[in-house]
Amino acid sequence: MRATVAQYYPGISLVHRFDPRCKVVAVAVLVVALFVRDGFAALAVFAAVGVAGLALSRVPLAWVWRALRPVLWLMALTFVLQALFGPGDEFWSVGPLHVSRRGLEQAAFLSVRLIVIVVIGSLLTFTTSPIALTDALAWLGRPLRRLRVPTEELALMATIALRFIPTLFEETDTIMRAQRARGADFSRGGPVRRARALLPVLVPLFVMSFRRADDLALAMEARCYTPGVARTRLHPMQARPRDALLLLLVAATIVAAMLV
Amino acid sequence: MTSGGLEVVCERVSFAYEEGRQPVPALADVDFRVGAGERVALLGPTGSGKSTLLQVVRGLLRPDGGSVRLGDLAPDDTGYGELQRQIGLVFQQPELQLFAATARDDVAYGPRQLGWSEEDVETATAEALATVGLDPAEHGPRHPYSLSGGEQRRLALAGVLAMRPRVLLLDEPFVSLDPPARRDLSQVLHSLMARGMGLVLATHDVDRAWALCDRRVVLAAGRVVAAGTWDLGSGGERVLGEYGLEVPFLVDLWSRLGRPLATTPRSAREAAEMLA
Repeated sequence: MRATVAQYYPGISLVHRFDPRCKVVAVAVLVVALFVRDGFAALAVFAAVGVAGLALSRVPLAWVWRALRPVLWLMALTFVLQALFGPGDEFWSVGPLHVSRRGLEQAAFLSVRLIVIVVIGSLLTFTTSPIALTDALAWLGRPLRRLRVPTEELALMATIALRFIPTLFEETDTIMRAQRARGADFSRGGPVRRARALLPVLVPLFVMSFRRADDLALAMEARCYTPGVARTRLHPMQARPRDALLLLLVAATIVAAMLV
Repeated sequence: MTSGGLEVVCERVSFAYEEGRQPVPALADVDFRVGAGERVALLGPTGSGKSTLLQVVRGLLRPDGGSVRLGDLAPDDTGYGELQRQIGLVFQQPELQLFAATARDDVAYGPRQLGWSEEDVETATAEALATVGLDPAEHGPRHPYSLSGGEQRRLALAGVLAMRPRVLLLDEPFVSLDPPARRDLSQVLHSLMARGMGLVLATHDVDRAWALCDRRVVLAAGRVVAAGTWDLGSGGERVLGEYGLEVPFLVDLWSRLGRPLATTPRSAREAAEMLA
């Protein structure tokens, strides 16, 4: 049992090195544009951008497939529903089920659009570490501080949570093995029995987590962490010329999609 | 409370952890043998594969190559699983796995999982608590976390002893204990040793390994680099130094005194008697 949180694929490609804030903005804008603009031609433009991005990112196809797989059944469902209940004159029917040409077209359009959205969205998570992503969202959320939303603190919480997820997985693994050495059996019996069998795992896991949280809080205070005070960063985010280029490319993509 | 020892023979055991994109090898072609009732120290630096080897022996990790023979049985023989259950494995910092509301219930968990009658569970629990120096009447009803660190460690040991193992695997049993707690645990282990319990002691603490074990096996980077009796003759324990371990204090002392190393005492008391 190993934690693969999100789908980050470490690398040093151009896409990896874009400023995370620019990547978040670029992806958000592209996805909105995808929803606004109809038509296969526009879709082809966005798809081309997605494929080009994937190629530039050097993320292996197997990795992409892993991210796409769970979406496929959703895509299939969308396709079937649209094909069956879409508008238009029927040109093929079996019993009470009718399929129209327009319905089929729409089904294909929506399915492909879903894939393109997932590919473009995944580009962000493939090439941006969860920590960088959190920092980017915190920065972009700064205007919310005026509304007293504690964005910095929320970002820190998210960062700490992400940092400890693999640790928790490892600990769960160890505790389960230790309890198995004492005769625990996690695979026998019905759901109630199985849930009960997890008690010897959950209690130590919670106790350890609370202890660790306590220790971490003390250690942070010992290193002068004060909530609500602006912090500086070890790796400050810095926009470079290439980030301007990214935003220009996104703008160009949208213009192209509007014109075709 | 032991029912005869159990021979454990690892033959060319290999194991790798699946981590991220590539497997991380932890054991490579390890041959390792513990005779029935024998006491073996498993020495080696951190990350050398000691814990992995213990978990493979207990059957918690399945080796990628090689096999572990228990007594006369190979892994595919009927009754092998039963023998695996007769191996007691105490994890590193086992007190972190205590979960029941009372010390007694925690110790009784293993025997109950084995499906013993409540009467047998009761007897085994009381016996195990007494063996580790905890009073069933006084400590039994208390919450595990209300015990001291050393008592919690011994309570966790009792939880394994209550299942009446024929051989005991201990993973760094002395780590992060204060001196009195180390002394108490040491006494418990010596009393188990006196009863003929087979023991595998994975540790950095060569002095305690020297006091408790007949033989020692040195692991480094997942390979056995030295195995057999303590090599006292030709300064062979220098191998320990190469892997960041120390030569046991008494062995070092005896060699500096120029005494025959075959007569090296196992404890300070023995040394004092011999020097007097």
